[in-house]
Amino acid sequence: MTEGAAIPLEPTPDVPPCAETPEGYQVRLDVFEGPLDLLLFLIRKKKIDIHDIPIAAITRDYLDYLDHKTKINLDREAEFLFVAALLIYIKSQMLLPRETDLAEHEDPRLVLVNRLLEYQKIKAACSLLREREDGQILQWKRNFIPSLHGESELEPVELSLFDLAESFFLMMKRRSADETRVIRGRDVSIEVKMKELVGLLRERHMIDFLEYFEANASLEEALVSFFCILELVKSRVAVAVQDELFQTIRVWLRKDAHRMDHHE
Amino acid sequence: MNSPIKNIVESLIFVSQEPLTLERIQAVLEGVPAADIQAAVDELVADTATDGRGVQVVHVGGGWLFSTKPAFDREIRRLLQIERKNRLSSAGLETLAAIAYRQPVTQAEISGIRGVDSTSSLKTLLEKSLIKIVGRKKAPGSPLVYRTSDEFLLYLGLNSLDELPSEEEIAKILQEEKAADA
Repeated sequence: MTEGAAIPLEPTPDVPPCAETPEGYQVRLDVFEGPLDLLLFLIRKKKIDIHDIPIAAITRDYLDYLDHKTKINLDREAEFLFVAALLIYIKSQMLLPRETDLAEHEDPRLVLVNRLLEYQKIKAACSLLREREDGQILQWKRNFIPSLHGESELEPVELSLFDLAESFFLMMKRRSADETRVIRGRDVSIEVKMKELVGLLRERHMIDFLEYFEANASLEEALVSFFCILELVKSRVAVAVQDELFQTIRVWLRKDAHRMDHHE
Repeated sequence: MNSPIKNIVESLIFVSQEPLTLERIQAVLEGVPAADIQAAVDELVADTATDGRGVQVVHVGGGWLFSTKPAFDREIRRLLQIERKNRLSSAGLETLAAIAYRQPVTQAEISGIRGVDSTSSLKTLLEKSLIKIVGRKKAPGSPLVYRTSDEFLLYLGLNSLDELPSEEEIAKILQEEKAADA
């Protein structure tokens, strides 16, 4: 499928695709997806039989294209040069004298031909898939429809435990800067805190992570609450969501996790 | 059961966010023969395909799903405030095609087919959930192995990979190109 490539040079078929650009004379290699695309284009343009490619001629044409290029993109260049090297290698193999005539499967061009044929198929499939895409893109299906609520403009990200931990340390730093004196309070057990948290989540449906911590009286208590939330997220009882980086984290119960017997 | 199967099936498809398969409908409508369900769904597809409707039931991704009619795309985008839906880039589509036809496949194999490094295209396709990583190949460097996803089928309106353009269809395209050149 070299249609896209062929269009820009239809008027002057013998001239390589090129254009005056602000940077100067530049070959439009960018219209080609890659070196195989360029080769297929050349083969098509010269009406060459893909199974019997005149390697010398095609190599000359191919290198002509590369020569006219002024803008260098190393990655792309390497891919184009690799195929140039392959062409020259094939030619050299063909020039080597042999004692007997080459059997067909020994044709050094075969490696290239097979690659080109496979690529050509993929390109043709692409044009068919593109047609499908164009048709499908106009049909909205429920799974692709974003909800109408303004809130959803921010796509919530489900957080990993690491994100949670980071938020926690951020919070602790903020706390220590508050010059609060720590008054030794009661001991808080994870079991008690867990119950409290789950109860709170059920009651309010959603809690604000930072707000909740600020409300904790002591460092120990904050620490215990934090472990509880980690545990709840880990056991997939609760979900923690952050709208944007550095914003507060909201925690709520998973809809499908009302069986929390082991936490109660 | 008072209401006709067709109406029940329609409501099931309506609430379903992913293609609703025959098996799942069967699980809900206990005792109803598969043939009856199939007939009801076929009727639904035919009914909703008529001009009198804005939505239609389509057979896609191995099941049935409601979709809007293509004619109303502009109005829908206005409602959702979406300027346009982006098509895949040609590099992206080429990479996707290479995976679709050669899966399971590694990055090196895809790049080999295309003659071009395909790492960034793979990343984009992964982000769009059109492909998935299914494991590692037992080869030097244990490279990741890619396959197309269920979303891929939905994206192109296919029911299974068997519905991808066939060898014959591809050969026809190539022949047409050849004819156009001659």
